[in-house]
Amino acid sequence: MEPHVSSQSAADASTSAAPSEAPLLAAAWAVFRKDVRSELRTRYALNAILLFAVSTVVAMSLGMGPLTISRNADLPIIQAALLWVAILFAAFTGLARAFVQEEEARTAAALRLSARPTAVFLGKLLFNLALLLLLVAVTTVLFVIMLRVQVGNPGLLAALLLAGSLGLVAATTLIAAIIARASVKGALFAVLSFPLLAPLLVVAIQGSANAIAGRGWESGVGSLQVLAGYTIALFTASLFLFNSVWEP
Amino acid sequence: MSDRLRLDQAAKLLLGVWMAGIVVAMFLVVPQYVGLGDAGRIIILHVPTAWITTVAFTVSAVYSIRYLWKRREADDAGAVAAAEVGFLFCTLATVSGMWFANVVWGTPWNWDPRETTILILLLIYAAYFALRSALDDVERRRRLAAVYNLFAAVTMPFLLFVAPRMAQSTLHPNCAFIQGSHCDGIWLEINGTRVGQLGDVVLALQGIEQRGDLAVAQVEVRMPGLQNVAVLAPTFELTSGKPADRPEFPGQQFLLAVEGVDLANGRVLLNMEAPGSGLLSNSRTFWTFMAANIGFLGLFIWLYRLRADVLLLQDRLARREVAYELPA
Repeated sequence: MEPHVSSQSAADASTSAAPSEAPLLAAAWAVFRKDVRSELRTRYALNAILLFAVSTVVAMSLGMGPLTISRNADLPIIQAALLWVAILFAAFTGLARAFVQEEEARTAAALRLSARPTAVFLGKLLFNLALLLLLVAVTTVLFVIMLRVQVGNPGLLAALLLAGSLGLVAATTLIAAIIARASVKGALFAVLSFPLLAPLLVVAIQGSANAIAGRGWESGVGSLQVLAGYTIALFTASLFLFNSVWEP
Repeated sequence: MSDRLRLDQAAKLLLGVWMAGIVVAMFLVVPQYVGLGDAGRIIILHVPTAWITTVAFTVSAVYSIRYLWKRREADDAGAVAAAEVGFLFCTLATVSGMWFANVVWGTPWNWDPRETTILILLLIYAAYFALRSALDDVERRRRLAAVYNLFAAVTMPFLLFVAPRMAQSTLHPNCAFIQGSHCDGIWLEINGTRVGQLGDVVLALQGIEQRGDLAVAQVEVRMPGLQNVAVLAPTFELTSGKPADRPEFPGQQFLLAVEGVDLANGRVLLNMEAPGSGLLSNSRTFWTFMAANIGFLGLFIWLYRLRADVLLLQDRLARREVAYELPA
């Protein structure tokens, strides 16, 4: 099939036939399951992301290990910053995969034919979220063990990690769809994502430092609210903008 | 057509004369400001360029919305031109600010909220240009760049909200310069954070005690450049809950006031109070500043329209070349 033929039919399908066939959430779930299945076959993103996270944490513990013994007043903020930097860069290595792989395998046109844009976006978002939550869980557990972090308020830290992951995914999924069409994908993903993630990073690091230092929930509520607002704003903007990105 | 051309010429000439007038006024009309000396004149250049940066970012976002809506290449050219000129002004504002900070505050970079915001803005612009250069297909480049531009604009309010929380205080002298702006001061603790920064002054809390109705704080004050170090003792009336004695900073007209006291935990809320007249309350400075704002806005409009025209022309030329080179 010639490329322009397929894109033509994709445009037709998205306007007329496809939307009425499956409900949005069911279609999104189907996209998610397809991505999980194809990921489990190759385990490309999974291996890359987890090994990257493990190497980062090990590298940090090699350098930072002895620091935990001395009581440094700034230690919580240092540890929170390191944890989030590890999560951020591991996310940069793997989260673009969902869209890049569609372009590289030339399956994007087929996906355009079979599901409407919003369903594709939601499915990919869900897949990225699952991947990131796995990454965050592994990284954090390793980080806490290897750097001997004494987390004062584990509940708050978990809530902040979850909220931060939601924000991270809401911001990067659309960027992943954008850079999948560009010629230099890997470097561009980090370059485009970082400035948008700056506010999230600042808030998440400050909140996590409070959690590690063992302050109460009231010290993290502000951070959680900002993260929630950030997630909602970027998620809504993504829903509006994704159609323009997903056009052939 | 020739009428419009003549009008354009006249506007350009007027803009040139206007900007020249501002440069002259910056040095001859604006008076020196106490405490800052000649360095204070930078307000005429630095603040308008920083404002134009935000204007440019907004203009670019509006053009991006219009492009996604109507898909006209003129809108994309407008968005790129506004972003490019905005990048130029952003760099000017950053460099002039760092220069000023180095002279007056002794350090070019301090993670001040505005410095953070403008740095992220520079990164966003740079990412926007990087994205454009990485997309080969013209239509796709325009579309995806517009999407990224808008997506970045969505995060700006969060950045503006978050950045001020990063540092405990700001080096930008809002409280002293712009009347009506609000500054909260800083809390120092005798058992915790004892050293803080208020404006360009470093404060170190050395002690706090109660003398009758008054709480007396011992504060070591280090002026910028470490030229002047002094121990001041501002007081706070516990019964009325108001600052009592406000000593002057050494060599400056600013006053140090205690605005709140928590004796049980040894905490003090310290703030800087400006003398009666702010920088902009001087009418000569104010009008030169306003004229500079208008001048820089005019400069921005002229530059970005020129750049947009050039972009459109380039595009048209490229298409004509393609048309002629195609085999018949």
